[in-house]
Amino acid sequence: MKKTSMKKLLVAMTAAATLGTAGTSYAEDPIQIGGIYILSGSAATYGEFAQKGINLAVDEINASGGILGRQVEMVYEDSQGKASVAIQAARKLVYSEGVEALVGLDSSGVAQGMVPTMPELQKPLIITHAATPDVTGKLCNPFTYRISVNVAQNMKAAALVAAETDATNWTTIGPDYAFGHQSWEFFGNYLKEIKPDVNLMSETNFPRFGAEDFTPFIDRVMNSDAEGVLISVWGGDLVNFIRQANTRGFFDKDMEVMFTVGAATEVLSALGEEMPEGVHLSTRYWYDAYDNEVNDRFVKAYMDAYGTPPSYNAEGAYAAIYAYKQAMEAAGTTEGPAVAKALSGMSMEAPNGTVTFRAGDHQAMVSPNWGVSGPMHPEHGIRTLTNLQIFDGEEVARTIEETGCKL
Amino acid sequence: MSGIGAALLNSLDIGLLLFIIAVGLNIVFGVLNIINFAHGALYMLGAYLAFTLINLVGMPFWAALLLAPIGVAILAVIIDRVLLRFIYSRDVADSLLLTFAILLIINESVRVVWGSGIHVVQPPQLLSGSVELLGSSVSTYSLFVIVIGLLLLAGLWYLFNRTRVGRIMRAAALDRDMAEALCINTRMVVTGVFAFGAWLAAVGGVVAAPMRALDPGMGDKIIIESFIVVVIGGLGSFPGALLGAIILGLIHGFGGRYLPEVNLLLPFLGMALVLLFKPNGIMGKGATA
Repeated sequence: MKKTSMKKLLVAMTAAATLGTAGTSYAEDPIQIGGIYILSGSAATYGEFAQKGINLAVDEINASGGILGRQVEMVYEDSQGKASVAIQAARKLVYSEGVEALVGLDSSGVAQGMVPTMPELQKPLIITHAATPDVTGKLCNPFTYRISVNVAQNMKAAALVAAETDATNWTTIGPDYAFGHQSWEFFGNYLKEIKPDVNLMSETNFPRFGAEDFTPFIDRVMNSDAEGVLISVWGGDLVNFIRQANTRGFFDKDMEVMFTVGAATEVLSALGEEMPEGVHLSTRYWYDAYDNEVNDRFVKAYMDAYGTPPSYNAEGAYAAIYAYKQAMEAAGTTEGPAVAKALSGMSMEAPNGTVTFRAGDHQAMVSPNWGVSGPMHPEHGIRTLTNLQIFDGEEVARTIEETGCKL
Repeated sequence: MSGIGAALLNSLDIGLLLFIIAVGLNIVFGVLNIINFAHGALYMLGAYLAFTLINLVGMPFWAALLLAPIGVAILAVIIDRVLLRFIYSRDVADSLLLTFAILLIINESVRVVWGSGIHVVQPPQLLSGSVELLGSSVSTYSLFVIVIGLLLLAGLWYLFNRTRVGRIMRAAALDRDMAEALCINTRMVVTGVFAFGAWLAAVGGVVAAPMRALDPGMGDKIIIESFIVVVIGGLGSFPGALLGAIILGLIHGFGGRYLPEVNLLLPFLGMALVLLFKPNGIMGKGATA
């Protein structure tokens, strides 16, 4: 009798000891954040940019004590640009890796597919790139946020730029999926609103994403009576497009040309001087547009680490990690629902100024940047942006009613 | 319509580039009975090697056009001797699996070696301008692509119909055992044909480099196009590759200009129509031939 109780006591003590160690080791465990980006294939460069921005933020945060006293650790999964793969990746990250939060998504198609599964996972997701208005619109939910500029914001700004020009006849060349079609739709609606006498041509051009040869569409626009053209082709396709357009003399025509993601640094560095001067270029974040302490530090750290100016995708991903730091510290926990709640309405200092996640739709009130391509930058080997315009984040955003989001 | 001349030339330059790539795929299938999924990856390697030789080493374009395909052909010999030789006697499906693995390895290696960024190659000075032709301005480089395509077409025709090497290749394609019995070293033929197919893919890659941006997914894009060409023209058929490539070129060149609303659909519609009426492709003998 005595012996057994002694034995029990020993077992209990051992158990308590293990619990104790488990407890302490839990507190020292790093906070894991899952990143879902395109890490292979044509658009792999976007995933790599995001990783560069994230690594910078994680190193800075870890060097200054981490989040809630815990170090931060990233776990990445390749979305391959496919919604089904991304959904599987998110489940794997949450259920088997045990990540506390998610960042990512490079493509509108992936975002539209994955966002509806977020409430099931009970973890917050900050989208850092994908631009479809739907995910902070009719598909919105309590766990999904976006820190980057969306199509609606960028096209409102584009319409304001277009309205200032003399062009009345407008057409578009864009990739034949959600992004290209939604860009034209939002641009057209806003432009018509601002300047009712514009003519949105019915002859639109939507080449296949990854089409390689854009000459047929370039010729078609050159032979039409378009005075302005909105081009939402992006990435490697855009590099192809511009080089092929150059050989056709596309930019010599008296036409307003607007590239909705033309000031992406990866496109500018690939093209160098082949990017024509005098065309309207936009990006979700232009590294030279913001004069604040966070941006100075970010741009300098990025250039020191990687030797090139940061792309918009690196900035969004960098800021998203800081958003989690602030939200987790405000919530005092890494619990998914609490962190998601803390993000709602939260304001933070990011490289592109003070960023607020609007409570009504979880879209960050950030500004698209538009400018006109200028002379080459003497050191960075890319075109500069002149006549830079930084729009007011609130002004270019849709109203909550317009988004169709009900939270 | 002034655009028709431009559309025609554009169709030809798309089509002949596709021909250079698809004909390699077809020759390899015809002789080795292997559907080479890695063909697009070899095309990409050709382009990246050219990029390295031109932009990083500083060689002229012409030297790259000569050297890069040879480099890829040497790699193909290694792939054949180390991996492929074990599966020649097996089912076509096994070759699909193995070459898909090779594709993944090459894709990932390209990303590791050259990074995931977008690269461009400048056309040689001689070909960088544009000329007036058929009522519209055409880039000199796309005329060059047409010329190279026609030269290769003529060369291949001569090789297969007028030379001993070509006759041996055809014999090996027709009946490998019989060829062996006639004292033809089929093992060398097999390796040679695979390397030759890779050489063609790489020539396509070098020729494409000055007009297509280089990224680690460029091989995947071209392999899909090449398969469409092969399905339309007929698997394993030399004239089929030409016909399929020209048809797909015309679909792209004219479809984009005159039927842009359905341009996404057209190649597949073309493929479906061919499959409906000629299940083995217009010139095809079928996978069992």
